[in-house]
Amino acid sequence: MNTLTRREFLRRSALAGSGLVLATFVPELARGQQKQNGTPFEPNVYLRVNPDGTTTVTVIHHEMGQGVRTLLPMLVAEDLEVDWRQVRIEQAVTGPRFKDIRLHTSGSSSSADSYLEMRRAGAAARDMLVAAAAATWSVPADACRAEHGAVLHPPTGRRLGYGELAAAAAQQPMPTEPRLKDPSQFRLIGKPMRRIDGPAIVTGRARYGLDVRRPGMVFASIERAPVLGAKLVRYDDTTARAKPGVLRTVPVRSGIQQGVAVIATSTWAAFQARHALKIEWDLGAQREFDSERFIADLDRALGQPAVTTRQEGDAPAALASAAQRLQATYVLPFQAHAPLEVMNCTADVRADAAEFWVPTQTQYRCMQQAVKVTGLPEEKIKIHAELMGGGFGRRLFADYLAEAAEISKAIGKTVQVVWTREDETRHGYFQPCTAQRFDGALDANRRLIALAHTSISSDLTIYDIHQGRDMYGGGPKPPKDADSYQIWGAFDNPYEIQHLKVEAVDVPSPVPYGPWRAVEYPSTVFGRESFLDEMAHLAGADPLQFRLDLLHGGVRTVGPYRIDQSRLARVHELAAERAGWGTPFREDGRLHGRGIAASVYHAGSYIAQVAEVSVAKDHSDVRVHRIVAAIDCGLVLNPLGAIGQAESGITWGLSYALKGKVDFQQGRAVQRGYGDFAVMRMNDMPRTEIHLVDSNAKPGGFGEHAVPMVPPAVANAVFAATGIRVRRLPITPESLRAARTG
Amino acid sequence: MPTYDVTINGRRRQVTAAADMPLLWVLRDSLGMTGTKFGCGEGVCGACTVHENGHAMRSCLIPVAAAAGKSYVTIEGLAGKQLHACQQAWIDEDVAQCGYCQPGMIMTAAALLRANPSPSDAEIDAAMANSVCRCGTYNRMRAAIRRAARAAAK
Repeated sequence: MNTLTRREFLRRSALAGSGLVLATFVPELARGQQKQNGTPFEPNVYLRVNPDGTTTVTVIHHEMGQGVRTLLPMLVAEDLEVDWRQVRIEQAVTGPRFKDIRLHTSGSSSSADSYLEMRRAGAAARDMLVAAAAATWSVPADACRAEHGAVLHPPTGRRLGYGELAAAAAQQPMPTEPRLKDPSQFRLIGKPMRRIDGPAIVTGRARYGLDVRRPGMVFASIERAPVLGAKLVRYDDTTARAKPGVLRTVPVRSGIQQGVAVIATSTWAAFQARHALKIEWDLGAQREFDSERFIADLDRALGQPAVTTRQEGDAPAALASAAQRLQATYVLPFQAHAPLEVMNCTADVRADAAEFWVPTQTQYRCMQQAVKVTGLPEEKIKIHAELMGGGFGRRLFADYLAEAAEISKAIGKTVQVVWTREDETRHGYFQPCTAQRFDGALDANRRLIALAHTSISSDLTIYDIHQGRDMYGGGPKPPKDADSYQIWGAFDNPYEIQHLKVEAVDVPSPVPYGPWRAVEYPSTVFGRESFLDEMAHLAGADPLQFRLDLLHGGVRTVGPYRIDQSRLARVHELAAERAGWGTPFREDGRLHGRGIAASVYHAGSYIAQVAEVSVAKDHSDVRVHRIVAAIDCGLVLNPLGAIGQAESGITWGLSYALKGKVDFQQGRAVQRGYGDFAVMRMNDMPRTEIHLVDSNAKPGGFGEHAVPMVPPAVANAVFAATGIRVRRLPITPESLRAARTG
Repeated sequence: MPTYDVTINGRRRQVTAAADMPLLWVLRDSLGMTGTKFGCGEGVCGACTVHENGHAMRSCLIPVAAAAGKSYVTIEGLAGKQLHACQQAWIDEDVAQCGYCQPGMIMTAAALLRANPSPSDAEIDAAMANSVCRCGTYNRMRAAIRRAARAAAK
């Protein structure tokens, strides 16, 4: 199994090699074995044409709500020319069949990476089916046509279904350059397609990781170290073992924190008996860790050596000689993923083989952990990816598989390890708390002439625990590769600024951290887009116009990206127009305002949002009434899905704009669940309006892009309403008060 | 451990469990009915919602001893010959994303429509305010509830 670089782990997707469909063909499947009628036609790893005329698409990405189990089959079916109701799906299971494919889903890359790959897979199969029919009829292939799961020969009116052609198609040569349909002929791509799992979900039949039931299985729950990095010294399980349904206990050391597992005949029994364990911990060095102190220290980290990731012009000199200058720092607190389905894994580890059923974004990473913990070779291990009740980056870690593997190995039984909501909230891989420091200058014409941005953050691409290193006692971190400092939303600043300097400072943190929805963009974009608004006000300019003035540079190459400023300008204009930018508010005794913010997601998706808020005159509440989003994410593959993902991203953004944060005191996460780590609920929701720009550009990601500009749009609107600038999330009456006085 | 009789989706079931084991875990672990979801275990998220006499209840807060002799409907038993109007509306509006909270959401919405066949948006919001969807499908959910109310009125 080839390895991912750290940043690839976040950004990259399934295609390990060239990305060409031919690299993943399995010729032995297409030939030899399939000479008889009644056998399926399996030209590549992605699809199988069955003798009954249905087509089974193997989904190599992981469903967490983003819709890949609908989208990937759409892409295959489009060029294969089969009807949607003839399509079945299967989730890829690890094994030799997928040796060239990383079963890994991150960075909203599924659609972009798969777009041509899946289409080519379908097109190649279609060409072989057409060739088989042509050979059967002794007519030229180009006189035949594929449609609705059949090949037709219009001059004679003959027709053969794909099922009938399956065996013969397998004998046809593999086309090297299968012809892709012209987009004007699309039947599925670009059409509003409902989720393939919808009927199963609404009837309770959809099976998530937590719903896996295996013969003879038992349940386990782990009491984990109360303080970050605490070590298990000894424990007494006498009382716990006497509880009804409890089978035994085992120490667990392979997860995110050490712990003691209670194994029982039901989840409930395991949960309950945890309270009866008497555990002695060595609390270790982090027993005093406090997130307020951590935030206060972030500013001090500014003095530490910084790595410059982008430099254009001479920002320090331009800042020093500027007509007007402003400095500000923006803070994003620690955040939990809080997916509704808690972490869980069902493991069956035996002496000679192991099998896992796990809701994961990465069978690739799960396999690494499974090999490590079981000691078995890869070919003896099977990883089934179950539906996820939310992923959001949390399930890019395989810590919960490692724990389950360790327990199953110890007890010799199939076990389902279930986290509680409190475990989930307190023992995750948190979005790191960061500070974004900006220093900006206006020239004599009140244009933004210089900007320096320092991102002070814990490097999201470090995965200490799963690089086999003990982050609490294992010595210094290994040196980082250069791209680790290319913080998204910082070095790829999309605006045209004459003097621009971007730096990154890495701060160590005892908090396990990992990517959260939109990874680094939430912190950097909150800072950048708030600061642009502050500079606009300093210039006495309309924030929209101020931004548009920075988007006249055409296409800019920044690192690996080509950023098209005209696409970003277009979404600004569209969002502003639809939101009624500049129009008056109805007088209702409250303070009203609109704010605009934008972001470019990996140079593929361009999005601007206008937030409309009102604040009570005494600042006792903040209400968001409306979010208008304009999105250019290239060719829209499934508008129903794309709009749903944008609404989802906006809701996520509102949750951390207005509500959620995680505090640490005495080395422990303070929040315990949805009660004190609040997220948006239906009654909190503003109106959301999503406007998609028609585009034929390469499909960009659409699972995360709508998140990061929500909080700055709201913060900018709150400023417009009140004149108060909130530079630390969440935006609450308390933070308004703190910002006003402080 | 004691034995209890609980009626689930019209079928009488006998379960042996600790008296304080919540109905949620009886359904999921004892009966293998996994449509009812675990989200928080403390009545905060609504993923485990079932019906007791048509009323939405949090199954994570009902000890099996208190459920004994009572009758419950779960997401698996909500549909009759056809899908419940909420289930159909959820499909039509393409509400679900990850889908994990949706059985609880649908049970909550179905109970709302039973008590109030044509709720206002404010009444919908009030009924759904105690349920969490981390994917943020709320606006489509609200549209689906309106659609289900219209369909049921026909």
